[in-house]
Amino acid sequence: MSRRNKISLAEPELIKAIRDREKLGAEALYDMYSSSLYGVIYRTIQDEELAEDLLQETFVKIWNSFSQFDETKGRLFTWMINIARNVAIDKTRSKDYRNTARNQDIENSVNLVDAERNTTLNPETLGVKDMVENLKPESKAVLDLVYFKGYTHVEAAEELGLPLGTVKTRIRIAISTLRKLFN
Amino acid sequence: MKDLKAYIESGVLELYVLGDLTQSERQEVELMLARHPELKAELTEIEKALDLYAEKHAIAPAEKLRDRVIDSLVLADEPRVFEEETREPVIKQSNFYKYGFAASVALLLLSIIVIINLRSQLQESNQRIASLELSNQKFSSRVNHIENSLSSVTEALEIYQNPAFKKVRLVGTPKAPEASMVVAFNPAEKEVMIDLASLKMPATDQQHQYQLWALVDGKPVDLGVFDTKTDTTGMIRMKAVNEAQAFAVTLEPRGGSIAPTLEQMMAMGSI
Repeated sequence: MSRRNKISLAEPELIKAIRDREKLGAEALYDMYSSSLYGVIYRTIQDEELAEDLLQETFVKIWNSFSQFDETKGRLFTWMINIARNVAIDKTRSKDYRNTARNQDIENSVNLVDAERNTTLNPETLGVKDMVENLKPESKAVLDLVYFKGYTHVEAAEELGLPLGTVKTRIRIAISTLRKLFN
Repeated sequence: MKDLKAYIESGVLELYVLGDLTQSERQEVELMLARHPELKAELTEIEKALDLYAEKHAIAPAEKLRDRVIDSLVLADEPRVFEEETREPVIKQSNFYKYGFAASVALLLLSIIVIINLRSQLQESNQRIASLELSNQKFSSRVNHIENSLSSVTEALEIYQNPAFKKVRLVGTPKAPEASMVVAFNPAEKEVMIDLASLKMPATDQQHQYQLWALVDGKPVDLGVFDTKTDTTGMIRMKAVNEAQAFAVTLEPRGGSIAPTLEQMMAMGSI
């Protein structure tokens, strides 16, 4: 996609470089994860300019609170994705964001993103994309509400008019399906 | 192990990874994870699945964003220390002004409260002073009144005790049978006094006054007019006369008459 060579490091080297606050660490961190983090943020916020600001905020948070990351307790990617999700979801809950008209119908906007952004998907995960389409729509809807919109399963149940048990089951089915597809 | 299967199937690990648990639920899950490595493996699988799901949504951000983001990260070989040094005084200063401002506001509020308090105390004191002044005035006028009464009583007493004064009792005529009064007469000093304390005369109207006459060799001599004021004590001094055989009182138009109106003779007494 770009003429510049992307910097990539093995995870232990990356972690060390970030801990030492090396420039190489910052560049590798950005090159390796900016697309995934930006995708999650954009998916949540659906505003390019805002998503760019929030991506910067996410990287600053990752960089400055990196001492809190413990590789023995969890995956680096999971830790960073959760920071991005929290930054974006917090924004959607802020007053100024709520007041804009962009944030309307979740189902519509999610579909819109898919339609708009199909071509820019990471080529390495394109195959995965096809597989994900095997996710049952009703399971995907629940998972997306919780994962991208920060709904609790209780809120998702209210939003979709479903019993709480059904929502929990659908989340589990969705994740199980993903696991099978990815393995 | 059946219990663990049920635990996994409850979907709680999924909710844990999604960040959809309460603080206490999280702690519970973490306790279980620490005890059971197989749960930990299950958790990692869930995390991987969601990570791949996120990765599936990857979108390359605009090229220009790279430098902006990397520049906003504070690097080790960069002005981190320098930046902190230059920043700190600014922060301190702004804190100083912040605290200074807060202290000033607090002081101002305190001063206002004190002033309001003092003002109400001052008003109260002023009111008390005013009421004290008023009662002081009342008191002193009362003292004046008593002093006056006392001096007139003393004067009357002196006159009664003085042998140079002749006390002449005037008694009512048929016109005013109840009337009576005492006239004190000092021929040597030519003094004639009326004792108001012993005065018992019918009340007069606004148009009339009593007039005292001395009978000198059968002729009436005017000694002046007087009113019956029940609240007055002491002696009143009348016009001077050096000799008299009798005194009489007539009721005359206000201001007195040149000659007595004999039919209005109210009281009389001879020496």
